Parts: sequence; structure tokens; C-alpha cells
Amino acid sequence: MATASTSSHQSRIGGGRTVAPSARRGLFARKRHRELALIWVLLIPALAIFLLYRVIPLLWNVVLSFQFWSPTKPSEWAGLYHYEEMWVYDDVFWEALTNTFKYMLTAPIAIILAIGLALMVNSRIRGRTVYRTIIFMSYPLMVVAVGIIWRWLYDENVGLINYLLRSLGIIDRPIAFLETFATALPSVIAAAIWQIIGFFMIILLTGLQNIPPNLYEAASIDGASRWSQFWRITLPLLRPSIFLCFIIGIIASFTSFDLIYVMTGGGPGHATELLITYIYKAAFTLTQFDYAGALTVVMFVLFVGLALIANALAGGEAGKVDIAD
Amino acid sequence: MINRRYVIGTAAAIGLLASTLAADRAAAQDKTLTLLTWNLPIYEEKFQGWIADFQEMHPDFTVEWLDKKGTEYATFYQTQLVAGTAPDIIDVQGMLWAEYAADDGLVDLTPYLEEHPDIKARYNPEGLEFWQYDGKQYMLPYYFSKTLMVYNKKLFEEAGIEGPPTNFDEILDDAGKIAATGEGRSGFITLNFDWLYWALFAMNDIDLLNEGMTEAAFNTPEMVDAVTKLAEATQSGAINNISWTGRWVEPNNAFAAGDIGMYQGHGAALFWIMGQADWANADTLGVVEWPGGWGVPNAHGLGISASTEYPDEAFDFIAIALNDKWQTTMADTFTILTLNETVDAELIADTEDPLKQETLELSLANMDKATGDWVTPLDARIKEAFYPELQAALLGQKDPAEAIEAAESNVNRVIRRGNR
Repeated sequence: MATASTSSHQSRIGGGRTVAPSARRGLFARKRHRELALIWVLLIPALAIFLLYRVIPLLWNVVLSFQFWSPTKPSEWAGLYHYEEMWVYDDVFWEALTNTFKYMLTAPIAIILAIGLALMVNSRIRGRTVYRTIIFMSYPLMVVAVGIIWRWLYDENVGLINYLLRSLGIIDRPIAFLETFATALPSVIAAAIWQIIGFFMIILLTGLQNIPPNLYEAASIDGASRWSQFWRITLPLLRPSIFLCFIIGIIASFTSFDLIYVMTGGGPGHATELLITYIYKAAFTLTQFDYAGALTVVMFVLFVGLALIANALAGGEAGKVDIAD
Repeated sequence: MINRRYVIGTAAAIGLLASTLAADRAAAQDKTLTLLTWNLPIYEEKFQGWIADFQEMHPDFTVEWLDKKGTEYATFYQTQLVAGTAPDIIDVQGMLWAEYAADDGLVDLTPYLEEHPDIKARYNPEGLEFWQYDGKQYMLPYYFSKTLMVYNKKLFEEAGIEGPPTNFDEILDDAGKIAATGEGRSGFITLNFDWLYWALFAMNDIDLLNEGMTEAAFNTPEMVDAVTKLAEATQSGAINNISWTGRWVEPNNAFAAGDIGMYQGHGAALFWIMGQADWANADTLGVVEWPGGWGVPNAHGLGISASTEYPDEAFDFIAIALNDKWQTTMADTFTILTLNETVDAELIADTEDPLKQETLELSLANMDKATGDWVTPLDARIKEAFYPELQAALLGQKDPAEAIEAAESNVNRVIRRGNR
């Protein structure tokens, strides 16, 4: 090997100056230092932002959650007051928590639909690139725009959905989708699914295209049906992509503030209140930054717990996409 | 002869002069006041007029103007407050100011008013009381309106109703009759933010809080009865359900469409509707007070953040902004009351449209029957604790008695927590 051969001889560097093997090792070490320094230089801006906008606020929230705090008064130690309040007395917290879990259904439903769509556009149907584009188009839209579009679609008086349902004779009277307690949350979930499904489809399509075709050929020769191939080849090999989608979906569920804010504001009542919208309300509408801090801590703990569970279910490989395959 | 020493010397002299001038300029412009207004971007030209007048008095000050929509206002102000950069002069709607005042976030204007009795004398005394907390004056009136009943004369006629209702039950009966005149029609609609619907309960002798504002007072048989009737009327379509789900645009647009018999809103909303709907005028609409003379004020005031470095100058600014000249401009621009008695009298006298004139006059009547204006720093939290339960009952999602009990428990929890 080149390194072996050069290590046994003195080498020439630059203008013919020779260096001893020990000096060369020193130079190699310095080079590694330089590389490390470069890595840190490149990482520091991102880490600084992460520290400034993620870690410090999170720690500040933890501190805040154990205090009585208002913008104009000195803080006081509150102990577990806010947590007790949340746990024992605050029905809205429990409603928001339940709604957040319901809203997480966005992820599995969107994944199931996206698998179907990915299989469709991965097959040899005519115009598949057009379908891919159309399906993906919802994802780059601003969430606020998605919210406004769906508000109009759901509108009781001029909405397309009510118009279609009435035209087809399915309903007699228009439905106030976003103003009715029973339909508000499912309606918002449908909008969220519509937005994210294109992104999931692209991730799953990449996963599908990474599955070696010879596996299907071998299975066909062995007489496996299409259904059996799907269950025994496609789905297991799509697992990392599915879990990536799942994690993204869970994150989106926890942080889906803008869609709710635009479409329902958390109402009617608290029918579409999520933890994230409730935190916002507690802090900025009700000026209870301390209580909002406690809610944030609970949400963070839940979020980390769910991410760990999802990762464990994925065999510790959630989000792994092996491009080399 | 120009040599290197000459060039360096000249450059140094110019640099020194420039930096001295810049420092002087910076020192001269260092004094800045910030004005935060509530959703009035179209009034920019007049705000610049306020600023120009103020700078005549204080040429060493610059004034920065910011405007935020109602939905963004509290978030913005509180964020600025936390950052230690709260705007010096603020225009606040409703009872939000009481929260800031209770937290020592506002300057007490009482000593200024004692020093300037001429400014205090401008105002309707009952009007000034809207902005008093703990015996101190925290804001001065900027503009004002009050909820009234606006009714559609044509729909009343079609329903065979002779005149506006005189009590709660008649309101619901008339609403039912109007709804029955045709598909898509309803009898009544209301705005629901900032307690604007509370006249409906006040006319049934229901109050939100006890006298000391230490606990909820609304869980009474009268309240259960009133909510039950309102819920039934909503389910039957007599009351338009946008009443309990919309905020501003939705109910106003719904009434502007011409298919609703009665509207509960304030003058500003009515004039907005008149701007939207060609048919809306004194021939087609009537305006009266709600039975019992009850009405919910919707008012804006100007105050000073306690964090300001220049409270005296900020007060001078407010005194200019609210003087007769600028308040007349405000009143004329928006056909709105200011609680400045001279300005309001002139506005009412000069308003040609009879419907608008009637609305302005009625808005100032029965000031002692103003309701829904509890001066408590917990106002926003009580609203949030109360309304979702009421809404659930009114939209038929919850039994009225259960909803009221839950609302009572929520409100008492908020008060207990707030008085901790």
C-alpha cells in the first residue's frame, strides 16, 4: 500500500526538502487539527443559533415554570404550583392534550395514503410525473395559505365542499364544518393531511426506488402474489422511510400552530385547541408566561418521550435513509 | 505644496469635525418616544400631524409610530414589555389596560390631570371612569362607542312586527317570527368579543361577578333560563349561529347581506356595515337602545407605559393628540364619539345622516347602564374561562346548566389564581 511504502522511506515535500516519518505524523496530526477546526468553524454558527433559539429558551421555560412571573414584577418561587394547576384544575389543558393526540392521527393516516400514492406514481401509469407534481404541490404552500384555502372550502355559505355535498343530494342543509364541535377537529386534520401528504409521498417514493428490483423478480419466480410481495418485501424495506415520515408527522402535530390559528383559532370552545395553541394563548392572550412555561415543559417531555418510543419501534433507525443502497 | 503630512492632517481634521457633528446630531435625536396604535393604519397622515405638533413643542424629540391589528396587539406589546422596549404611548381597546395597570405597567395620569384641570374638564366624567383602577386614572378617552340594537325595518314589516322589542322574551319571539319569513333568514345576530353580548344577560338582572369582583355571580336560575332560551333560538335558526362563532367580519357581513332582523353591535360596526351594504340607511334600518337601556361600551384610550424614560413629554404628546383640534379630526374622519364633550356635541350636530346621528346620540345615553365593562386585570382570563362554556351551551353541545356550572368553576379558579 502507498502508506506502507512511504512510511519506510524518507519522503520529499515541496521543493525537495525531506522529512522524517515522525515529523510526517506530526504534520498529519496538525492536518487533522485543521480539519477539526474547520468542522467547528462551520458548526459554530448553527450551534450558536441552536443554543440561542432552542436550548436557552427551553431552559428559561423550565425556570419560568417554577416561578410566578410577570413582565413588570420581580419573580417569586412557585414550586409546583403551575403543574398542580395544570394537572388538577385545568380542564382545557386535558382537552388540548387529548386533541393533540387526536391530531397526531394526521401522521398515520397521511402515511397510509402516501404509501398508496407512492405506489401509484412508482408504477408505469401514463402521466405519473404529472401526478407526482400535482400531489407534491400542496407541500411547498405556506401553511397560512393552506389554512385560508381550506377555510373557504369548508365555508358554510360559499364553500365548495358544502356546494358539492348539496349538489349530490348528500346533505340538505350546509354544514358549518369549522364551527361545529364534532366536525371542527376532523376538518382541520383533513387539511393537515392534504398539506403533508405530498412530502410523505416523495420520501416513500425514494424508499420504493431504493428497493432492488431483483427481490421482486425472485419473489415472482417463487410464485408470490403482488399482495404478498407488498407485505413481505415493500413494507419491511420501507420501514426507515415510514418511520422518518412518522417522526416528521409527530413533529408537525406538535408544532401545527399556524394551521389551527388560521382555521379555527382553537375553537369552537376548545374543540381544536392543541397544546401549542394553548401555550400561545396562555402566554400572549392571558399573560401567563409562567403557566405557559410549565405547559411547554410538559409538551417537550411528551415530545421527547414519543420520539424515543418511535425510535425504539424503528429499531433505533428512525429516519435512517441509506442512500448507498 | 500638498504632501503626505498635509493630506493626513486634513483627513484627520475632517474626521474629527464629522464625528463631532454626528455626536451632536445623535445627542439631539437621542430622545425618542414610540407611539403604538390599535389597527388604524389608514389614519397615518393624522398621526404624523400629532407628531409634528408635538415636535413644535419638543424639537429635540423624535416620535416613532407603530400600528398593530387587534389580534396581534397584546402579543406585540407584551413581547416588547418583556424585552424592556415597551412603546411609550399606547392606544388600548377594552379592558386590556387594567391588566397592565395592575402590574404597575402604566403611568398614573391622576397627578397630570390635577396639574391640568383644563384637560380633565374636556371629558364626560362617567366616560373617564372607564379607565380608572384603584382610584387612579390610567388612560384618557380616545374614542368610544356602545352596543345598540339595529333592526331591519323591511324584515320587521314582513314578519308583522310593529316595533322593536322591549324585553328579552320579545327579542326571541320577534327573532323567531323573522326567521320564519323565508329560508336563509334569521332574526338576530350579535358580536361576541369583549363581552359585547352581555346586554342580553344584563336585561335579565344577571351580573358576571359579585360586587367585590371576588367570585362569579352568574350561576343563577335566571342565567340558566336565559341561556336555555338563547340556545333553543340558536338551534331553531331564530338566532344566527355566527353570533357565537364569528368575530368581526363574519357577523357584520352576515347582517350586511340583509337577511337578519336584529343586530347587536356598536356604532362603529353599524357604520362599517353601512359602508358595505348599499341598502343600509335610515329608511331601511332603525336603531334603538336594548331593553332596559343596557349597552356594552367599546372604548379606546391613550396611556403611557411605566417603562418610558420621558413620562412628562409622553403626557404632552397625549394632551396634543387628544386636544379639540385632533379629536374633531378623529370624530369627523370616522363619525365616532371621543367622550370630549365639546367635540361630541359638534359631531352629533353636524352629522347629516339621521341613522348615524341617532346612533351617536343613543351611544351617549344611559351611561349608567353600561355593562360588560368590569375593571379587572383578570378580564381576558375571565373571558377565556367563561365564553367557551357559554358557546358550547349556545351551540347545543352542552346542557346549559352544566355549562354555566363549569363556567362558574372556571371563572372562580381564574380569580383565585389571580388573587394568589
